[in-house]
Amino acid sequence: MRSVKHTLAILISAALLLVIWQVGASLIDSQILLPGLTPVLSALVTIMGEGPFLANVTETVVRALQSFLIIVVSASILGVLGGKYPLFSAMMSPFVTMLKAVPVMSIILLAFIWFTSGQVPLFSAFLMGFPIMYVQVESGWRTIDPSLTEMCDLYQIRGVDRLIHFTIPSLAPSLVTGARVALSMVWKVVIAAEVLTVPRYGVGSRMQLAQVQLQTDRVLSWTLIAILLTALGDLLFELVVRLGARAKKAVDRRRAA
Amino acid sequence: MKFASVSKAYGEHVVFDRFSLDIEEKTILAVVGPSGQGKTTLLHLASGLIEPDSGRVVRESEESGPVSYLFQEPRLIPSATVFRNVELALRSSEPCAAIRSQIVHHYLEMVGLSDSRTLYPAQLSGGMRQRVAIARAFAYPSRLMLLDEPFQSLDIKLRYSLMEAFLTLWSESPKTTIFVTHDPKEAVALGDAVCCLGDPTRPLLHKKIDTPRKERGIDDEALLALEGRLIKALLDS
Repeated sequence: MRSVKHTLAILISAALLLVIWQVGASLIDSQILLPGLTPVLSALVTIMGEGPFLANVTETVVRALQSFLIIVVSASILGVLGGKYPLFSAMMSPFVTMLKAVPVMSIILLAFIWFTSGQVPLFSAFLMGFPIMYVQVESGWRTIDPSLTEMCDLYQIRGVDRLIHFTIPSLAPSLVTGARVALSMVWKVVIAAEVLTVPRYGVGSRMQLAQVQLQTDRVLSWTLIAILLTALGDLLFELVVRLGARAKKAVDRRRAA
Repeated sequence: MKFASVSKAYGEHVVFDRFSLDIEEKTILAVVGPSGQGKTTLLHLASGLIEPDSGRVVRESEESGPVSYLFQEPRLIPSATVFRNVELALRSSEPCAAIRSQIVHHYLEMVGLSDSRTLYPAQLSGGMRQRVAIARAFAYPSRLMLLDEPFQSLDIKLRYSLMEAFLTLWSESPKTTIFVTHDPKEAVALGDAVCCLGDPTRPLLHKKIDTPRKERGIDDEALLALEGRLIKALLDS
């Protein structure tokens, strides 16, 4: 009953947004300032039927996934080192503080000077997402229960066993939270960087081209596609996390039987 | 096991000063003492977790090797099942998974947790968690066992049922054991000998208990007298 109410609340809220949009479009009555729902949806259908649609979406997805994977691997390793060695953490701290404070646009503009347009989104997304995940993993390591670490030492639980059965599960909440937030950030930065650097293919590039030609309906359609990609990414991420947890439980149960 | 003229200090605080103590092989020495008078330091010295400033801790050949430690709290890995928590402690010594599994099943059965082996620590009661810790301590192939007030936070009924489980397992494979407790009654019920700390240079009381454990009753006059002496030594320290 509660989940039905929950779903209903989400649907009503989404419908309300669409109504506000449509009412705003009718009041403004300008296809350039704010087109209504029908022209945007029709532009969306047209875009999806166009040849380079898949290439545009794929390029953006690949850039986002590449930066996400680089963030997950590098921030996990460096975060563990930062959590374990205070000196390493002190060395990383100016770098991380700087990355947290620098505006996204500065990074994208600087990256555009140093790299090609296709590499800028990747680089910018990495720099923006890395500190988020790094901080999570580093603080996650510090919250590992020292009494359990002592128990592992005394019972000689070491190496791969310790990593698989103690370290990774202890860090899992921090890893999942860090990765989840970094993933949301990656989509936004990749598309923003594509808008500014206009690589040959990419959702952001198409948005920029549509904006230059004052095709607001197409800008909004590409925005809807970006929202859908982000939502789909989040959904897949949650699915992977749940499947991972379920698989671990199944293995545990089989082993103990 | 022998503590031979051991000294240990933390800054200005002297815990042991040329302190000596003998523990007979394959017996339980119950140690009582006020807080901060070296009970946990004694265990850490025995396990090798810390080194004495001077003097020696001598372990007989039968006591050398890995040490089982039973802590105040169960210290189970939350993401591992009951089975896995015990089995992980065997991995360093037993490469064959099938044999490990047999050993784990045996000890879980001994503590009455066979049916709970697929559960996680969060799904167990406090007493059940401590039973898992007991099974782990005995499954681990150690020659020396150290108990740091493992029954302290439990109610009296549960405490005695866990002590019984502990003694059943201990009788199956006796090993030299140091049992630290706050409770003189617990010390007298479990120990082959009792010892009271409180003076850095010597035990305030060190007495062997002659009555076999199985014959000890709560109204045994000799044991009540020993308990009284322990309480007096604690109060005087």
